[in-house]
Amino acid sequence: MANKARQQSKSERAQALMREQQRKERMRNWMVIGAVVVAVALIGGVMYFISAGKDTTGQAVTSSGTPSNLTGTYNVAIGKSSAPTKIKVYEDFQCPICNEFEKLAGTQMRQAIADGKAQVDFHMVSFLDRSSTTAYSSRALNAAMAVLSTAGPDAFLKFHEIAYANQPAEGSAGVPDSTLVQWAVQAGADEAKVTPLIDGNVYHQWTVNATDQMSQDGVSGTPTVYINGKNQGTDWQAAAQNVLNAIQ
Amino acid sequence: MKQWVGLVARLVVAGFLIVAGVSKFPDPAGNVRAVRAYQLLPESVVPTIGHALPTVELIVGFLLLLGLLTRYVAIVAGLFFLAFIIGIASAWARGLEINCGCFGNGGVPADPQRQYAIDIARDLGLLALCVWLVIWPRTRLALDNLLFPPHERLADGEQGPSTVEV
Repeated sequence: MANKARQQSKSERAQALMREQQRKERMRNWMVIGAVVVAVALIGGVMYFISAGKDTTGQAVTSSGTPSNLTGTYNVAIGKSSAPTKIKVYEDFQCPICNEFEKLAGTQMRQAIADGKAQVDFHMVSFLDRSSTTAYSSRALNAAMAVLSTAGPDAFLKFHEIAYANQPAEGSAGVPDSTLVQWAVQAGADEAKVTPLIDGNVYHQWTVNATDQMSQDGVSGTPTVYINGKNQGTDWQAAAQNVLNAIQ
Repeated sequence: MKQWVGLVARLVVAGFLIVAGVSKFPDPAGNVRAVRAYQLLPESVVPTIGHALPTVELIVGFLLLLGLLTRYVAIVAGLFFLAFIIGIASAWARGLEINCGCFGNGGVPADPQRQYAIDIARDLGLLALCVWLVIWPRTRLALDNLLFPPHERLADGEQGPSTVEV
């Protein structure tokens, strides 16, 4: 009897010892997990703030950083407001498909503006800065706004034409500011006036906010073309054809 | 054998997440726009989600690469892929034409329908790998094996359902 009891208590002790061991192991595992989680949270927090801090979207634009001669906050409608056809385009100067669209319909749209047949509302944006090594997309938009601000909508239209005709390839270094100044002068802007605006990239924050506005407008890519308020979809060739039909 | 499959699953999922995170990280504003384009989340949380996405992808990706807390991380990754699948499918169903933004640079793809199908198929595959890792989190060449050594009494890889026995 005594022997049996001893044996029982021995096995109980062994069990208790094992439980104690398991408890210690669980503790240790939880501490390891906790340490990993804390480390990950710290690294993640730092990365999050780096990422969020780089995004200046929505920051206020000073009055000198806001282009003049716009017809809305982020757009310029060119042509008679009484024109029967209203076209609205969202374009990026670095976007190759926008260039294809301009090749198909650009000349005719400019003619229709001149003839009073169409009013074209340009919403220029720059979300393709990563497609060049020099953030060409936003610098080109900045230059276009410098032209609009100092020389008016007709000069802007001319600059728009020149910029697409000479669009740098995706992945290239874009064009330097000096070339943008040349285009601006060619479009009819005063060199002394536009040079500081282009070199200083003074409308940069505005270009960031304009691009965000496109997204807020529910437009997620370029070119996006509206004819009399109707979105023409992602088939840019069909969109160009519809524009030509509408303004002929 | 299962442990080798698990290793491959870990590396494949980690690879996708790290590439996605790296390509997104430099363009936070673009990520916010990509999230917004789905038109699923309220505007008040869109910027936060957009900014957090690449960070979470990178962290989850590196944890899987290292094999650290594999089961829990695989649950998180699986939930992410589930969310992406729901997002893409709903964009597709609503006729939205967007780039998934999976690897940064949200824009309009040439053929959105086809792109949606490809994106969903890829995410389903990745989700399946995550499910595998949740069921069999013991994998080869994982830090888990050092931090949480398998018990002797368990045959290697078999019957060890939990990475961390709590």
